[in-house]
Amino acid sequence: SRRKRARVRHKPCALKELEVSVSELGLGYESDETVLFRYCSGTCEAAVRSYDLSLKSMRSKKRIKKEKVRARPCCRPLAYDDDVSFLDAYNRYYTVNELSAKECGCV
Amino acid sequence: LDEFLHSLAGSPSPAGQDPHGWRAGVDCVRANELCAAEPSCSSRYRTLRQCLAGRDRNTMLANKECQAALEVLQESPLYDCRCKRGMKKELQCLQIYWSIHLGLAEGEEFYEASPYEPVTSRLSDIFRLASIFSGMDPAASSKSNHCLDAAKACNLNDNCKRLRSGYISTCSREISASERCSRRKCHKALRQFFDRVPSEYTYRLLFCRCTDQACAERRRQTIVPSCSYEDKEKPNCLDLRGACRGDHLCRSRLADFHTNCQASFQSLTSCPGDNYQACLGSYAGLIGFDMTPNYVDASTTSITISPWCSCKGSGNLEEECEKFLRDFTENPCLRNAIQAFGNGTDVNLSPKSPSLAVTLPPKTDKSPVLTDDINDSNTIYDTSIITTCTSVQEHGSKLNKSKEQSLCYSETQLTTDIMPDQKTFVDQKGGSSLHWAGWILPFVPTLLLLLAL
Repeated sequence: SRRKRARVRHKPCALKELEVSVSELGLGYESDETVLFRYCSGTCEAAVRSYDLSLKSMRSKKRIKKEKVRARPCCRPLAYDDDVSFLDAYNRYYTVNELSAKECGCV
Repeated sequence: LDEFLHSLAGSPSPAGQDPHGWRAGVDCVRANELCAAEPSCSSRYRTLRQCLAGRDRNTMLANKECQAALEVLQESPLYDCRCKRGMKKELQCLQIYWSIHLGLAEGEEFYEASPYEPVTSRLSDIFRLASIFSGMDPAASSKSNHCLDAAKACNLNDNCKRLRSGYISTCSREISASERCSRRKCHKALRQFFDRVPSEYTYRLLFCRCTDQACAERRRQTIVPSCSYEDKEKPNCLDLRGACRGDHLCRSRLADFHTNCQASFQSLTSCPGDNYQACLGSYAGLIGFDMTPNYVDASTTSITISPWCSCKGSGNLEEECEKFLRDFTENPCLRNAIQAFGNGTDVNLSPKSPSLAVTLPPKTDKSPVLTDDINDSNTIYDTSIITTCTSVQEHGSKLNKSKEQSLCYSETQLTTDIMPDQKTFVDQKGGSSLHWAGWILPFVPTLLLLLAL
């Protein structure tokens, strides 16, 4: 089981989805309508470049001290899904854009 | 599975597959091509189009050349060509259709024949699809908000979600303080939604069953009525019809509605050919045109539908106006069709009826739903339950016995509505015992219920 858990943790960056109510999104809308929320999740080990290795090295050698840097690629949306419209609890329509990921990648 | 779904989704079958000969199946664009290949046909057609341009029928027929052209064209494939809803070049097809039929019509008719091909799929096909797509279980969710469930089903489907968001954002986008929205763009986006999204999604949004007001208000809001439906003033219905008839698409959709939803006192359901699917389809086909219909309020007990018009200022055409409006507001066929969809029930069709054999596409042969043999069942009561409920259950996950029954009782709500017609029906067709049994069986629960009371 330990090996299995280890494998799960190493899943590469990919698109995942969740059915959530609009209220759960935390955007301030009150609506029971369910939407599909797609997000990016996974590791980016395969996407490490010389850039990341060098940046890490610079940091450890204190050549870069105060700045905030990220020496590791990050699993993020490369593109967002189309608009999502819904009717709220007060019978008003709203449209939210760039709510959901469409494509993921290590950047 | 994909292929199976596709075949059920009501995608129009190619004209070549029509078993009743090429004439019935040929669309007007193709008929026009056939005519163009024939010098005599094409010259007559050109003549006729010139005759009709800017002239009414009587002036046109006064011209001998025009009359001769019309007579010749009645023998050509152009005469009985039809169009398909949402086909490529639909507008071109309809223009060709009306170019001949405006010349043939007896002036301003109250009802016009539909230029669209008859709808052969049934509601039961949609129920079956809906249950495959979403695991919909109408019996289990009697307390839930069906309109909310329909919105969920749409949001979880990329195509439905995209086109729904498309019309909602277009229809709720404010242009300026004086202009609430672009009605033209809103109508176009609504038409795209109803033309391109399969009806198992669109009908669920449009015809969901409601037991509380929040649900009914959501149902009324489906088409964003503040933009697509309501207007500052209510025009006269006959004026609105005149405006609609000035547009080939609107005219065609209205004619289609009149063909498929016209209340008929000869059928059990009050619908022509007992075809609910055809009526709902032509109702949805009117959305996004001048004649856009909608629920007039958020009532849960009575369903009232109307276009945005009234019969004020009709002058001496008041009677005609009321008649026109009643086809929306007091139409038993439309009401029964909407309720049947909400309840998840379809008319049970006797597979022995010869007219049915003609209207059903060959693909349904594989489906067990419509081929249930009434004679195979043990008791009358059992049969009615099985035949009225299988359409919903088919392919759905196992329903237990009690669920099955609660589902079937909803059928009685529908049938009580059409009880008066039932009497006349039995009188007419009582002669054939086979037919009588086939038609009356679905109503046995109602009869038993009445006896019990």
